[in-house]
Amino acid sequence: MQNNDSCTYKEGPLPSCAPLAVPMLAAQQCAEPAYDSGEALAKGTLFPGLDLPFMDYVANGPVERTPETELMAIDFVCQELALYLDTHPDDKDAFKTWKSVNALAKEARKRYVEMCGPVMRTDTAKFDSWVWPEDPWPWNAGGKAGKK
Amino acid sequence: MFVYEKKLQYPVRIKNPNPAMAKYIITQYGGPDGELGASLRYLSQRYSMPYPEVKAILTDIGVEELGHLEMIGTIVHQLTRNMTVEQVEKAGFQDYFVDHTAGVYAQAAAGWPYNAASFAVKGDVIADLSEDMGAEQKARVTYDNILRMADDPDVIDAIRFLREREVVHFQRFGEAMGIATSQMDQRNVYAVNPAFDRKK
Repeated sequence: MQNNDSCTYKEGPLPSCAPLAVPMLAAQQCAEPAYDSGEALAKGTLFPGLDLPFMDYVANGPVERTPETELMAIDFVCQELALYLDTHPDDKDAFKTWKSVNALAKEARKRYVEMCGPVMRTDTAKFDSWVWPEDPWPWNAGGKAGKK
Repeated sequence: MFVYEKKLQYPVRIKNPNPAMAKYIITQYGGPDGELGASLRYLSQRYSMPYPEVKAILTDIGVEELGHLEMIGTIVHQLTRNMTVEQVEKAGFQDYFVDHTAGVYAQAAAGWPYNAASFAVKGDVIADLSEDMGAEQKARVTYDNILRMADDPDVIDAIRFLREREVVHFQRFGEAMGIATSQMDQRNVYAVNPAFDRKK
């Protein structure tokens, strides 16, 4: 395939003689380039090639940094890489990246739990009492129950 | 088995009640192209899917859609929390309010309750993955239309994120389609349904 604008992430391999009546979409070729985690979360994708906004509804820079959004951002990168790996299980570089990001996410989660409370119910074991039901729940942000 | 995480995928912090907006955003909770239907579609289609990569992507996207359902529920909750009866009346929100008060109920914008007829499980690899790609596009358009009408930056921010996820999921289902069809009869991918007909 000709690569005219050197934007390889925009292109996918298609056979030179594609069969008729077979649904086909260009496959993403690799997990690079990628946004950093804060930018990825703000944009809703890790991959610039998939960043295709509607009209001028674009993110105004990265999401504001809080312990919560830091965890969201790193977890989001894990999710994006996982979806990519599901359809690219043989991409060893992407798997290596996922492993290191996954380790960072584990650390971020540990820090968040210490500061803000359990994310998974099992995290409650790190506390002195059954704090799992305590507010705020995820939908309470900014409201009376969400004051923290 | 599923495990709950006590956090959203993306922050939702809406300061001002606005039942007029909740009235149409609820459609992504329980409407024809909403997140509940998306989740049930993918998590249900998994069982007859013969290819490991496709089982994985249906599972992982299906679970993410549950997270999106929670985000939409949060948006609707925050748009209706602390609203007054005057605001309900001014917004024309009475039809919803009389049945559900400020609760979050799975219904379409036009008021009908969630209906499983809004998604399909055909038990055929190409048919199901085609449906999934179409479903992602329909959800994207619904979010486009919400963006056309929404005027609260707090709401727009979260909707924009959810819309972009549809684009990413469309790409992954397209790749899953390629993985599936490349393992079928290359002269005629419709010769058999690999989800039903046994391999020779």
